[in-house]
Amino acid sequence: MLSVEKVDVFYGEFQAVREISFQVQGGELVTIIGANGAGKSTILKGLMGLESCERGKITFQEQDITHMPTYQRARLGITLVPEGRRLFQDFTVEQNLVAGGYTRTDASAVERDLQRTYDLFPILKERGHQVAKTLSGGEQQMLAIGRALMASPRLILMDEISLGLMPKYVNEVFNTIESLHREGVTILLVEQNARKALAVADRGYVLETGRILIENEARGLASDPRVKKAYLGG
Amino acid sequence: MIWQQFANGLAIGSVYALIALGLTMVYGVLRILHIAHAGVYALGAYVGLLVFRFIPNFWLALAITMVASSFAGIILQRYLYAPLLALPRIVPLIASIGLFIAMEEIFRLIAGPYILAFPADPGLGGIEWGIVRITNNQFLVFLVTVSLLATLWFVMSKTKLGLAMKATSQDLEIASVMGINTERIIATNFLIGSALAGAAGVLVGVYFNSVYPTMGSIPAYKALAIIVLGGLGSIPGTVLGGLLIGLGETLLLGLINIPFPRDALAFIIMIIILMFRPYGLLGKE
Repeated sequence: MLSVEKVDVFYGEFQAVREISFQVQGGELVTIIGANGAGKSTILKGLMGLESCERGKITFQEQDITHMPTYQRARLGITLVPEGRRLFQDFTVEQNLVAGGYTRTDASAVERDLQRTYDLFPILKERGHQVAKTLSGGEQQMLAIGRALMASPRLILMDEISLGLMPKYVNEVFNTIESLHREGVTILLVEQNARKALAVADRGYVLETGRILIENEARGLASDPRVKKAYLGG
Repeated sequence: MIWQQFANGLAIGSVYALIALGLTMVYGVLRILHIAHAGVYALGAYVGLLVFRFIPNFWLALAITMVASSFAGIILQRYLYAPLLALPRIVPLIASIGLFIAMEEIFRLIAGPYILAFPADPGLGGIEWGIVRITNNQFLVFLVTVSLLATLWFVMSKTKLGLAMKATSQDLEIASVMGINTERIIATNFLIGSALAGAAGVLVGVYFNSVYPTMGSIPAYKALAIIVLGGLGSIPGTVLGGLLIGLGETLLLGLINIPFPRDALAFIIMIIILMFRPYGLLGKE
């Protein structure tokens, strides 16, 4: 579904990732783990078109998207749950969700997905008319995921979604990721919380200082001594 | 007497709001101060007058002006601001000030340094309620600004375009992640803001029956005071700020007969309000 070949992405002037190659198949849950500053977020921004990709090639569903503007990638079915949530702070919960479904033309399908999102996160329905910035951190994260789902995406990129959440919400968010995966949604998950990420993922990549070091099944990575030592606390 | 001044103040204030709206809309999406916006306002007055001299119909002149000034706005966005956006904010600001001065000189070279009359009669007639007399031209200003503001309100709060515009001004990157063509939304902000400024130019030209090259100078900095007062990027705040300054100027100077520089009042009001509300009346932290 998604194929990245020898891609360099710059973060401003600074080359954050070098000659990265990886694939995500339809329906897969793939994770990229690595330390802070290894370039994980930059990869997602490069895939979304928020940072420019100087070399290499990104293909999504047989289409070359390397230099495509962000909004067109969104219209092909890629979406991002950004680091730090980045909700539309002055919009209500419902307006945020409606904005998430911006590109869709079938009003009844959007309404159906709105109900589905509310079923998935009942708290959002309760808070429907509240302004986004008044929500708690966990609720905001659920709204950010809900907003991404409203686009009915083919591929969801998730950036550090457990960062800064209370443990109770971390579990809830990972349960949500698992259930989305079971429904067949394709997910690329970037996480500092390697233990949790590997527990839900099918496959994983380990990123260190802008390069991919190891690729394996998630289970294999979780028992790999190098991964254990560096990311799972021994 | 006070109600008469009130009507005068509202008329001036609503024109201020119309001019300042474009400034706040551009600031909202690009976070730059579009000083040359006041040049678009003066351009509007000249275009309106030119059309009016060929076909003496106020409404036609207004319509053509709004189309022409929205084109001017889009050209500025594409050829002046778009190439400069990656640079530090001070660069587009200086370019904008430079362009504004250049525009004033171009108006002077083409139309001459004189004050030109704009004797349009929109054919509305005045209204008299007891002691308040709303003149023909005041009625015109109210009618046009209220319909334009109502249209803007409708677009911003009831349409998908409005949703996209508000989303883009809150977070441009994330708006594009939602599939919004943010380049087009930025152009739309320039288009709407410039059409409103052009309309304001025609209204002021007719209201004071005068069009001249530097007519944008005072609105250029007064609009700045208004958007800071209202809260940078806030559309309702800008309308409120415009009305407040228009009313304040007219009421204070019309009632207290002191030799006070009228145009300084906008800044005095701005400073006083910012002392209590640093983010402006309806601004966000």
